[in-house]
Amino acid sequence: MTMDRRQALKTLGQACAGTATAAATVGTSGTAEAASGGPYPDASPGAVGMLFDTTRCIGCKACVVACSEANDLVPDTVLANGLWQMPMDLNARTANIIKLYKEEDEDAVGGEYSYVKRQCMHCVDPACVASCPFKALTKDPENGIVMWEASQCIGCRYCEVACPFEVPKFEWEDFNPRIVKCQLCSHRLPEGLEPACCEVCPTDAVIFGAREDLLKDAKSRIAAKPEVYYEQKVYGEREGGGTQVLYLSHVPFTAIGLPDLPDESIAWYGTWVHGIIYKWLLIPMIVYGVMAAIIRKRWHHHEEEAREQAKKTGLPQQI
Amino acid sequence: MTEAVANFDAEQGVNQWQRGVHIYDSKVLTPAFLVFSALGIVGLGLSLLRMFGGLAFTGMTDSHAWGIWKTFNVMTLTALGSGGMAIGIAAWVFNWKSLHLVMRTALLTSLLFYWGGLIALGVDVGRPWNFYQVVLINRWNTHSALLEVSVCMTAYAAVFLLFENLPPVLERLYISGDSQRRKWVAMIMNFVKKFYPYFVAAAYVLPMMHQSSLGALMLLAGVKVHPLWQTQMLPLLYVIQGGVAGTSCVLFTVMLGCLVWRRRMDMHVLSDLAKLMTGLGLTFIVLRWGDLIWRGLLPMTFDFSQPLVWVFHVENLLVLVPCLLLISHKMRYNPQLLFKASIPVGFGAAMYRFVPTTISYVPGELAVYFPSALELVMGAGYIALTVAGFSWACKVFAIFPAPISRWYQAVAAARAANIKVDSNGKAIDY
Repeated sequence: MTMDRRQALKTLGQACAGTATAAATVGTSGTAEAASGGPYPDASPGAVGMLFDTTRCIGCKACVVACSEANDLVPDTVLANGLWQMPMDLNARTANIIKLYKEEDEDAVGGEYSYVKRQCMHCVDPACVASCPFKALTKDPENGIVMWEASQCIGCRYCEVACPFEVPKFEWEDFNPRIVKCQLCSHRLPEGLEPACCEVCPTDAVIFGAREDLLKDAKSRIAAKPEVYYEQKVYGEREGGGTQVLYLSHVPFTAIGLPDLPDESIAWYGTWVHGIIYKWLLIPMIVYGVMAAIIRKRWHHHEEEAREQAKKTGLPQQI
Repeated sequence: MTEAVANFDAEQGVNQWQRGVHIYDSKVLTPAFLVFSALGIVGLGLSLLRMFGGLAFTGMTDSHAWGIWKTFNVMTLTALGSGGMAIGIAAWVFNWKSLHLVMRTALLTSLLFYWGGLIALGVDVGRPWNFYQVVLINRWNTHSALLEVSVCMTAYAAVFLLFENLPPVLERLYISGDSQRRKWVAMIMNFVKKFYPYFVAAAYVLPMMHQSSLGALMLLAGVKVHPLWQTQMLPLLYVIQGGVAGTSCVLFTVMLGCLVWRRRMDMHVLSDLAKLMTGLGLTFIVLRWGDLIWRGLLPMTFDFSQPLVWVFHVENLLVLVPCLLLISHKMRYNPQLLFKASIPVGFGAAMYRFVPTTISYVPGELAVYFPSALELVMGAGYIALTVAGFSWACKVFAIFPAPISRWYQAVAAARAANIKVDSNGKAIDY
């Protein structure tokens, strides 16, 4: 059954190959408009993503290593004195990480714990894309992968401020810093490969697929064992306008670091007023016109008064 | 000439400001000026060095990706530099004539604060060489408030603020120049006069746009910003508070200048300035509390177990209390009280601009940001440049407001120093 799914994924990967290459080279094309799709946006029909299930993850971290390899990231070995990969969190050298949540009371026998995989959520309506001033971050209109383009990034780090999941990371040490984050292995998809993390996962705790299918899969898992899953909810179906990476958890979502977000899209919340004010630059131009007309009138009076004053005092007028 | 002075003073009231006069009786190179310049040069030097390396030496982290350069040098100091906008609109659009006398001071503070902010921004961005895209319209993400800020703020500082600050410079070039130089200076002056209303109108629309966009920036931070600050009203509140901060900054600067350089204060003008500040400040308080009540957050403001609620109240009271006091005519005409009142108002307004990006910005990771020593020195350096620049400009250009008798004293001082002076005192060779 697994093989079937894998094969299906390969065809899926090939299907979105074209758009993925486009996404990889997205530069001046500007295909992806940052325009928000309303407060409750729909994912594009071709949206791809991942589904992570905490009940299946055994914390082996094979995905962490595979991610570094696939994306040419130098492993973060700082904490391990250079011996092995040991990142503390997502950072400029780590686009994917396995973290452990343990209940406060460490002595509690059978205390609740959970592993969690963190990486870019590939939001349906990403705040980072809305924030990016020069379209360095774009969302592919077909498969919905959020990509970063070096030649258009000014390094302002607004994406880091905007991202509710705190995913984009900045190379603070570097002279020519990049923004590092998961790009859903979009360079592997055209080759018919799935994202490295999904490929190596021994327990299928994380799987790759079309968002629609993943959502169905997640819901059927909940239906099969409703008592296991927290709030019988798929995190990412609606949170913050929805994400393309979905989570199932047996512990509270906030415990594994997924913030409690309103359903309204953050990109929408942050840009709709701006969108009205700057539509066609109409409002600024009206304000300018009115002000210029008034000031022009005042200016003539002012000039006359100043001339009179200058005559009276014999001193040159000042503006 | 002394007769003319006497007549004029009698007619106008001795203390009445009439025009800008340079601070002729004070040297440029004072110890304070040298200290500020030195600090500024250290800041600029470090900024140059920073261009050869990354930003790891700062206190910034991935969870607090914006440090004091953005949150203080840009967000807060351009608010203090919004005097040119607020006073300009009051004087030109609402015909508040007395405010024209402090306009030159206001425009100078705006110019200096904005340029200080732009330098900080240039040092802060990680890949400044990609900033050329600001002219490539097809690269603009028009939904981004930061795009609006980058385009508008650059245009305002690099074109419109320079234009507005031209007249004092041209005057000086004219007065001290020979006939040939006077010809081309007069030509530029005619150009300035011809287009003045159109440029000035743009110089009011642009800061209204980018000052509100600075507030809109934090909208995208969503739940990371504490609900007492996170509101769709942020853009409007940011513009108004920019006006409050800018006006109080000009009020403070002018009064401080009067104290340091021993100039008389024209309480009519200063009281009008205070009126503008009070009006804007109270508008801000009403809008902010109205919005809180509208959003049903009033109970939260009594939840004193949250430290941020205290911050919220301090921020409001710093503006509210002095503004309420200054409603009284008598209080406004009291120079000591007015000077002291301008400080908390400016501080409170600046605080409102600073807090949403730093103190009430609470990312999921419980990381704390504190600027590193170098970061602080550089940030302070840009401010020091502003102070040194202000003191220099006031001594060289006719910016600081003064009674007309000061003009004649400036002429007399020039004569005494054996500097060429026109018979009617028109040409003072500084």
